[in-house]
Amino acid sequence: MSAAEHGPDDVLTVRGLRMEAGPPGSPVPLLDGVDLRVGRGETVGLVGESGSGKSLTARAALGLFPAGARVSGAVTAAGTEVIGADRAALRGLRRHRVSMVFQDPRAAVNPVRRVGDHLTEALRARGVPRREARDRALDLLERVGIRDPRTAVRRFPHEFSGGMLQRVVIAGALSTGPDLILADEPTTALDVTTQAEVIALLDSLRRERGTGMLFVTHDLDLAAAICDRVHVMYAGRIVEETTGAELLSAPAHPYTRALVAASPSLHGDRGAPVPVAGRPRSLAEAPSGCSFRDRCPAADDACAAAVPAVRRHGGAAVACLRPAAVAL
Amino acid sequence: MPRALLTWIGGRLLGAAATVVAASVLIYGCLRLVPGDPVLALTAGRRLSPEQIEAVRQASGLDQSLVRGYLDWMGGALRLDLGLSLHYRTEVSSLLADRVAVSVPLILYSAVLAVLLGCTLALVSAVRGGAVDRAASVLAAVATATPPFVAAVVLLSVFAVGLGWFPATGAGSGFWDRWWHLTLPATAMAVAAFGVLARVGAAAFSEELGRDHVTVARGRGIGGFALLRDHVVRNALAPLVTVIGVLTATLFVGTAVVETAFGLEGVGSLLVGSVSRRDLPVVQGVSLVAVVVFVAVNTLVDLALPLIDPRVRTGAVR
Amino acid sequence: MTVDLTAVRGRSFRARRPWGLWAAVAFLAAAALAGLCAPLVAPQAPGATDLMNSLAPPGTPGHPLGTDSTGRDVLSRVLYGARLSLLAPLGVVLLASLLGITLGLTAARLGGWADIVVSRGMDVVFAFPGLLLAMLVVAVFGPGVVAPVCALAVSYTPFIGRLVRNAAVQEGARPYPEAYRVMGFGGLWVTVRHLLPNIAPMLIAQGTLSFGYALVDLAALSYLGLGVRPPAADWGSMISQSQSAILQGAPWGALVPGLAVLGTVVSLIVVGGHIGGSIVKKGERT
Repeated sequence: MSAAEHGPDDVLTVRGLRMEAGPPGSPVPLLDGVDLRVGRGETVGLVGESGSGKSLTARAALGLFPAGARVSGAVTAAGTEVIGADRAALRGLRRHRVSMVFQDPRAAVNPVRRVGDHLTEALRARGVPRREARDRALDLLERVGIRDPRTAVRRFPHEFSGGMLQRVVIAGALSTGPDLILADEPTTALDVTTQAEVIALLDSLRRERGTGMLFVTHDLDLAAAICDRVHVMYAGRIVEETTGAELLSAPAHPYTRALVAASPSLHGDRGAPVPVAGRPRSLAEAPSGCSFRDRCPAADDACAAAVPAVRRHGGAAVACLRPAAVAL
Repeated sequence: MPRALLTWIGGRLLGAAATVVAASVLIYGCLRLVPGDPVLALTAGRRLSPEQIEAVRQASGLDQSLVRGYLDWMGGALRLDLGLSLHYRTEVSSLLADRVAVSVPLILYSAVLAVLLGCTLALVSAVRGGAVDRAASVLAAVATATPPFVAAVVLLSVFAVGLGWFPATGAGSGFWDRWWHLTLPATAMAVAAFGVLARVGAAAFSEELGRDHVTVARGRGIGGFALLRDHVVRNALAPLVTVIGVLTATLFVGTAVVETAFGLEGVGSLLVGSVSRRDLPVVQGVSLVAVVVFVAVNTLVDLALPLIDPRVRTGAVR
Repeated sequence: MTVDLTAVRGRSFRARRPWGLWAAVAFLAAAALAGLCAPLVAPQAPGATDLMNSLAPPGTPGHPLGTDSTGRDVLSRVLYGARLSLLAPLGVVLLASLLGITLGLTAARLGGWADIVVSRGMDVVFAFPGLLLAMLVVAVFGPGVVAPVCALAVSYTPFIGRLVRNAAVQEGARPYPEAYRVMGFGGLWVTVRHLLPNIAPMLIAQGTLSFGYALVDLAALSYLGLGVRPPAADWGSMISQSQSAILQGAPWGALVPGLAVLGTVVSLIVVGGHIGGSIVKKGERT
């Protein structure tokens, strides 16, 4: 996969990331050989159904692994090797270089502390004086479009609407001037009009500062609209890497094609949505060989033999023996 | 301050006052429940002349109607006049004032022990989990079930008699001496409260540790002490403070047992002695003070909750 | 010594292998059996003094747990002491349940003023720690067991009363009592026949914990010399009689009944927590 050929400008490279949980005797596999990279100023999408391992992958970039998980492979975020890093290195990475925006702002911000405390927390932790941290927080709130930042910093999270609070979270993520932002379904918990505003905000900030962004979502239209490149994940593996432009127009992997067919189109050029047959699998319950084969109309015995190798298909890299074999 | 908040605070204070009034009716009414002539209960076992009996009858308001007698008693209580002790022949309030010098340090000492140790154990068990958590929860369950007189017996056998580290009786004089003398009694009293706090605290802390905002804070490079202080302990404060409020009653009543066990001259042993001497004015006075303290503490906790959790503030005002 | 059920319920032993539960049940069964069969199993009469043999240490032939300062056999006294120590709190729990269920159902069914009066009344009783109310009653009626049992029953009533009232109000909002009423069954019959079995596990859990707290309160009262009057004895009065011997280096007379109290209460908390815990789990599943 092209992720392997990482350039010097990359803010995130993930190579051969494997993760398993549970007791060593009966391990539960979570991720298997995930490869991806995010360049400076680039927005990379990570799409898939729930349970596919998108969030696990994104969190791995911060060294946030589930308790008791065994991890192997290489994850380099902003020049720091995350796997096996000591506490101090991880803390430095998290305080200075990489920020995360989570799905539900209500859960992500401590409800009993003032918004200002949330904003200045990471700065204070790395030794920025109180006054300066406060000034920077006011500045950031203004930048993310919150009116009257001086009163806002003294208010509590529950006094904000969901969209406004997500802006606060984004301001908090930007407070450290990160090289990489991990956005984990940042708009899923918001209503549609707010979604558009938050996306526009994230995109403009990325443009302004040249920050790389890993954008996790299950919304294909959204991914196609804002991402330079998109990785499609299924059952703990990346099954396709393609460009944002080709995600909807020329999906190659049967799973991607099924997803595209299943998502309602905003523009009416795709016909009625067709649900993906079967239910999503996690890696632990996936069949041998290609994990999608039990839901794939084009699968045959060859798909069961081994996990398909990645091959080129047009502009995309696909882990499938017969890409584009399924009708859209 | 917003008007709604003031109304809410007023309501709380009014409710507390109503509870105290109702409780005081109950405390005073007990005297009238006595089978036969109540004055005989008051004078039980004491050889008194008919004139003295009449004096007691008048002093206790027994020559008046229930309502009149209650109003007199309560009116006196508001002026800190709780009547005369039948045994000591002195003011109940001055008896109390003498004894407070032992009981208040004892209660505070014991509360500090219970809260510090209970919360520390809770935090360690929530953070470490696994075997540490299981061992801590067994310890907490046993502590919860340990009555102060059992704890007193064990502490006396081990630390006073066996090792001889602490004195078995007396309250000592001067700060350090008192502190040294009160260590075993305060520990005996704190054991059960420590157990309850350790259990409630461990549940509250581990719930908070599992919340998303803790993960978010970790992901922002907040760790160690700051993470626990700002995101775990801070958020678990509301349930903890509520439990601490309820536990003050345990501690207050615990003084009765512990002061008897360790031969301390405090309010608790005054209550016990007065109950067995059937010195009703003292019993009523101490009971009233206990109820007032308990209601006051819990009302303060109620009023403090909005300060601790801003979400309650909005909810309360609505 | 009263703690809300919710406070104790949070982390019980339920997630673990239930050996703790079985140990607790076995201890309670042994204690009950000791009380029932005391005359059969006790090596001595509980009041038999033997001044030649006072403060004999545990292991003395004929006195496996030693003797107290008047030479009475500690084991025999603990076995006999189980009777009062366990019966009196049982009385408290039964009386409190009777009161609590009656008041709770009355408040829930009548609603309005009756509900307010009962609920506020329970708040007032709540402001009295059980032991304080018991001492107040003893001051009026003199030492004994009956008056404190009644006082403690009153002070534990709110725990059960609130439980029943809230459950009854909730259940009343559900459709099935209505369905029974439509079918011609009387309101009280519906409540007793259907509501009580539904909340029985919660009542039993609360009752188990209340039993433990009542046992502690009554033992404390006896320890303070305000409860059981000699020659009758419970564990609390045994501890107080043997406390002076501790200073003479003979702690067993006080430690043995103390451990009996501790073991019983720990077991009750474990069992009560388990019952309460399984309710919580059931609630999570549905």
